[in-house]
Amino acid sequence: MSREAENVLLLLVGIATAMITIGGAYTRYVKPSLLPWLALTAAVLIALALASIAADIRHGSAAEHDHDGHSHGGSVAWMLIVPVVVLIFVTPPALRPQSVPPKVTAVSTEVLRQPFPPLPAGRAPEVSIPDVMVRAAQDSAGTLDNRLITVIGFTLPTDGGGVDLARVMLICCAADAQLARVHLAGPDADELAGYPEQTWLRVEGIVIAAEADGDSTSIPTLEVQTATRIEAPENVYA
Amino acid sequence: MRLAGSTRAVSMPLVVVTMIGFALLGGTVRAAVYDSAALSTAGTVFSGIFVQALPFLALGVLLSALIAVFITPDRLSRWLPRRTSTAVLAAAVSGAALPGCECGSVPVARRLYGEDALGAAALTFMLAAPAINPVVVVSTVVAFPAQPQMVFARVGASLLTAIVMGLAWARWGRTEWITRRLPRPRPGQESRWGTFIEAARHDFIQAASYLVIGAAAAAALNVIVPDWMIEKLAGQLLLGVLVMALLAVVLSLCSEADAFVAASLTMVPLVPRLVFLVVGPAIDIKLFAMQSGLFGRAFAIRFAPATFVVATVSATVVGLLVLGGG
Repeated sequence: MSREAENVLLLLVGIATAMITIGGAYTRYVKPSLLPWLALTAAVLIALALASIAADIRHGSAAEHDHDGHSHGGSVAWMLIVPVVVLIFVTPPALRPQSVPPKVTAVSTEVLRQPFPPLPAGRAPEVSIPDVMVRAAQDSAGTLDNRLITVIGFTLPTDGGGVDLARVMLICCAADAQLARVHLAGPDADELAGYPEQTWLRVEGIVIAAEADGDSTSIPTLEVQTATRIEAPENVYA
Repeated sequence: MRLAGSTRAVSMPLVVVTMIGFALLGGTVRAAVYDSAALSTAGTVFSGIFVQALPFLALGVLLSALIAVFITPDRLSRWLPRRTSTAVLAAAVSGAALPGCECGSVPVARRLYGEDALGAAALTFMLAAPAINPVVVVSTVVAFPAQPQMVFARVGASLLTAIVMGLAWARWGRTEWITRRLPRPRPGQESRWGTFIEAARHDFIQAASYLVIGAAAAAALNVIVPDWMIEKLAGQLLLGVLVMALLAVVLSLCSEADAFVAASLTMVPLVPRLVFLVVGPAIDIKLFAMQSGLFGRAFAIRFAPATFVVATVSATVVGLLVLGGG
């Protein structure tokens, strides 16, 4: 592959990174907290490509540079076309719950319980589903006890005819996605079971204190007080 | 020469044509991917690994370009102690100062060897640098937020591998296996800026290209490998270790990204995943290719398998000690 073509691919990788960062599609693949680093990376790659192109133009014939190119592995740079095409033209969708390994995020209750920081003030503070799971299993301060909270997720029917509220959770990137879920209970929960699968809901409710049943990976249950249908949030992952 | 020139000459139009082609067919390809659950999952997982690794790669490349400008190989070799065992130890520890991935350390090690430094120290440095440098350590910390002991185990097992291989080379290695001569140093005097841009550009294109291969293979495995197969791995330590060691060789992941892939294989126990993280930066398919290219085939066919065995064994032993049986 010629130096010019390599430089153009380098530029395109930078542009692809900038496009998913500005367009917001990056939240389908990685955690939103990576935003500043991605922006910086896009800028660095574009600058590096432009500087390389400028240097080659200044040196005249770029072919002269290929003398030291024998150890460069040659055609492997073609691989860079793949992320350019995937990120710019395909932009794969966010993971669907079906494609996440069926096993549920295991939150062990066997670790040493510790006091968690109190929930934010307010009538019904929003708590993420993974946070609900961890607090239900490991919090010694009882921050969830008798506390009205707001949880956002999509419906997922259970085998027993009930309904769960779930959210796909990323540890690092889309390669390590797991499903976090809470059971929904109460009179309103039966009605929710009638909704189509993966209806996005904002649910207000109280976590039912779980009995110590020896199950080390129990899923907490939320007593539903109100449930509202909502649009899918911009960042679909928890 | 003329032939090579002509294939090079068409690469630019080929890139342009490919881009225009995908711009026109983009909608169709997109629809096909979105319609297929397997394809969209693979696409998303690929993008996840690639995008997550990109900032680390950019950081590593910038730092390694700075080092290419400010730390010349002969300066580095002058710092090394004369005694072989001390030099090997010093080289292993100073590997922490080369924040790049393994693609960068092979040429550096070759240059150190050529400068008549102690060969064993150069090879130790080559094995240690990609595994224990700050960028790799930080990305391992980020990838394993709940298992900080993974970082210590990785650094420890990688240092052990590098030192054992360095001492083994000092004892049994022969310089005549190294058949490849170094390319002559560039005659022209490049400016510091020019050297910096050239090093960053070269390292990024090399590393990112291999990262694409690794991310694609990992994405395919994510979709293809049935769950029961990895569940089987969960129970059997020896089988798990062997499979993960081979996987590290086949996937040829960049050491700055492999922690994220290992973290994603949540169904595999920690010790085999540690083996994956220790073997990968020491030896894999692309390193074997680079070693036979820069050192010579006679060197690579002896050094690579030995590295594989030493890395697998030391990762297993350190893993069992630090991480326990699980």
